[in-house]
Amino acid sequence: MDLNTVTGYRRARTRADLALGPGERILGGGTWLYSEPQLDTTGLVDLTTMGWAPLTRTDEGLSIAATCTIAELLAHPDRPPLAVECANALLASSTIWTVATVGGNVCRAFAAAGMVALCAALDGVALVWAPSGGGRHDYRIPVAELATGNGTTSLAPGEVLRALEIPARVLAARTAFRKIALAELGRSGAVLTGRVDPGGEAVFVITAATASPTVLRYPALPGAAALRADVDAAVGYYTDPLGSADWRRQVSGVLLEEIRQELA
Amino acid sequence: MRIELTVNGVAREADDVWEGESLLYALRERLGLPGSKNACEQGECGSCTVYLDGAPVCACLVAAGQAQGREVTTVEGLAGDGLDPVQQAFVEKGAVQCGFCTPGFLMSTKDLLDRDPAPSDPEIREALAGNLCRCTGYEKILDAVRTAAANR
Repeated sequence: MDLNTVTGYRRARTRADLALGPGERILGGGTWLYSEPQLDTTGLVDLTTMGWAPLTRTDEGLSIAATCTIAELLAHPDRPPLAVECANALLASSTIWTVATVGGNVCRAFAAAGMVALCAALDGVALVWAPSGGGRHDYRIPVAELATGNGTTSLAPGEVLRALEIPARVLAARTAFRKIALAELGRSGAVLTGRVDPGGEAVFVITAATASPTVLRYPALPGAAALRADVDAAVGYYTDPLGSADWRRQVSGVLLEEIRQELA
Repeated sequence: MRIELTVNGVAREADDVWEGESLLYALRERLGLPGSKNACEQGECGSCTVYLDGAPVCACLVAAGQAQGREVTTVEGLAGDGLDPVQQAFVEKGAVQCGFCTPGFLMSTKDLLDRDPAPSDPEIREALAGNLCRCTGYEKILDAVRTAAANR
């Protein structure tokens, strides 16, 4: 929809352009920003004109630019494991995937955000550009910690998500995925992932069922009872029209056990 | 602000675009191309589907400013000397009721058949999942897509 309160539009070409003035917001793909009124927004700063390469493979792993679209992520030969499953969990049509960005989905940080699930599942780290200091105050934070709640992040005003970094060690991991919703094609009530790294470490992640990602780590694949106990003890299960907290806890336990068995 | 873009193969300029304007508004109200329809305005219905640099997007969710320097194809650009085979198939099968969703279905169908000339029914349904018909005329639409595929 048209954003009637917006009276300014800037195309960012350099880092200095990303300094936000009063009322300005970063524009990524725009698929959420343009889907509802933004009454407190009076200016847009287009991040997509920064010209960042969508995906970069290095010895350290995979760097996904914040402006990488979901379509670009899925089409890339170096796409990480679970990318397709997590993108499908978004329930968006291909017309959305064409322009919606990975970084935008992470920054929006809804509990059911598929790109948060992907990054949390793969120990993804967010590279955050600080608004001042010429890069001296930039920092990295695990995406599982950046997403602090259903629609909230730890990002401070003016900070810009530059990239999402997936470490090389997890790219060769064995992975498994489950999703459940109240309707067959409904919005995610719970998204569960599991990963066993080449060294044997096992990581299970709950998203959508808890307000922020729940990461369960084990030095080796745990037993069923230990995993279930940790799932039951996790905090942040919530109730909304898409599912009750008790249901979310229960299905998380059932589906993570399926994943555990699949990875055994 | 002014935006310069290529629409249906023709270089165009749009003046007085206001900064929060969507590409859909710019196409319909500034460039005189009302084929793309304004319905849900939130990316649910697909009636505003156009191609941006060859890929289908919901024009209601794209900032007009982001179309600067890019190529846009609207439903008006589908037909050449005659109807595009996809359009012809929709006519033959009567895949139109009120017609409001039709431009979006045409664009999504053409995109599908350009990528996959012989899609299966599940693939058709998947490709059209972002397009809604409130008349619920889906069976005729599916017939039309199958016909368009067979006629290519």
